[in-house]
Amino acid sequence: MQYLDVISVNIWNVVISLCNLLLLTWIVKKFLFKRVQKVLAQRREAIDADYAQAQTAREQAEEDRLNYAAAMAAAQQTSDQIIADASRTAEYRSNEIIGEAREKAADIRRQAEEDAKLERKKAEADMRREIADVSAQLTGKLLEREITEKDHRALIDSFLQEIDHDDNE
Amino acid sequence: MTEQQTPDVHSRHFRAVDYGLIALMIVPFLICIVLKVLFTPASEGVHISGALVFLEIPFPVQPLIISESQVNSWGVILSILGLCLYLTHGLTAKAVCRRQLLAEWIVEKCQKLVKDNMGEYFSTWAAFICAILGLSAFSSLSCLVGLFAPTGDVNVTAGWAVLVFFLIMHYKFRGGLWNYFIGLFKPIPVFAPMNLIGEFSTPLSMAFRHYGNVLSGAVISALMASALGGLSKTLLGWLPGILGDIPYLRVGIPAVLSIYFDVFSGCMQAFIFAMLTMLNVAGAVPWDEWRARQEKRKLRSGANVTTGKTA
Repeated sequence: MQYLDVISVNIWNVVISLCNLLLLTWIVKKFLFKRVQKVLAQRREAIDADYAQAQTAREQAEEDRLNYAAAMAAAQQTSDQIIADASRTAEYRSNEIIGEAREKAADIRRQAEEDAKLERKKAEADMRREIADVSAQLTGKLLEREITEKDHRALIDSFLQEIDHDDNE
Repeated sequence: MTEQQTPDVHSRHFRAVDYGLIALMIVPFLICIVLKVLFTPASEGVHISGALVFLEIPFPVQPLIISESQVNSWGVILSILGLCLYLTHGLTAKAVCRRQLLAEWIVEKCQKLVKDNMGEYFSTWAAFICAILGLSAFSSLSCLVGLFAPTGDVNVTAGWAVLVFFLIMHYKFRGGLWNYFIGLFKPIPVFAPMNLIGEFSTPLSMAFRHYGNVLSGAVISALMASALGGLSKTLLGWLPGILGDIPYLRVGIPAVLSIYFDVFSGCMQAFIFAMLTMLNVAGAVPWDEWRARQEKRKLRSGANVTTGKTA
């Protein structure tokens, strides 16, 4: 076997070398760059998807927060309304109750007054009878004579009427 | 594609494929070494020459020679193919393998390099630049395992430079053939021959720079090894018997030199070649003329449309 000279130009070797470089370019492109770039693109896609998801989640959370705040405000309003209504009802009811109670008390008082008046009248009548009886007995004993009770009563009535007249005057 | 779901990194199948790919990375070099050992004639002393010829096929113009540089180039390509497959084996959107980080790092670095040096328009060139870097660096570094570095053969680097030359021309012609032709006579017509030489000197200088650096490194390494052997013989030759025949100074010292000439210089030249490719190609586009041509073309097509409508 022999060696080439240190400098020896051979066209075919040049062509072979040129083709070698093209071949290696194709290999590197197909088996390294394309594959790695595909993976990088996949990764970028995944990251983008994650970011989009996070964005939507954040938006969702924000929306939820706003909804919650609105609901809370509405609930507050409702509760205020309820309380106001309740207090108004209670006031009304209490007024009603107090009025009723007052009325009842007035009724009771009136009743009591009437009762008392009746009682007095009764007592007056009783007293009148007692006085008549006593005076009849007294006068009977005093005069030692019997007068009919009928005459006696008339006498006393006239007497009492006189007294009444005196009182009225 | 199975990349959609997370691959089971510890499954037997996954591991088996991994080992196959690692073998694909290493075996080409082993085959090259075996070939070299089988074909290398026994020789004495310093031997500085080109690649070892394996096969010579009669072809028109020149015989097709399959030499060490071609075989080693193919070995490097196979190895890089194995590396690419290994790095991209089990890629997932959520990086689970450490190798995926390396793969992404390579891709992103190349894209950044291309974007920084060539601009956004050439962003699809990242794979080409990555291929240049990989092929050149791996070729130069293949001498670390005792192989002939394909970049030490002028035909190999010339092939790359010719490709770059075509690319440069392709972009220069974008401004129109006539504009390109006029450009040769600028700034004054006397410059025409020099401009013309300049066009061809770019790929030529690129090819020879790369080839020369790698070859000179190899030559210096060979010379140093031989010189150290001689020095060892004169200094320590007095040792009795076989002890005197061992070239002690050849242990270690050439390795230190090799770090510079093979590793550093090899990577450096790969980077320089890629850099020059990027700058020359990106600088070749006559943006103003190209835009003017596109405008004109658009106008013409627009005019065609209107005339077609009226007709």
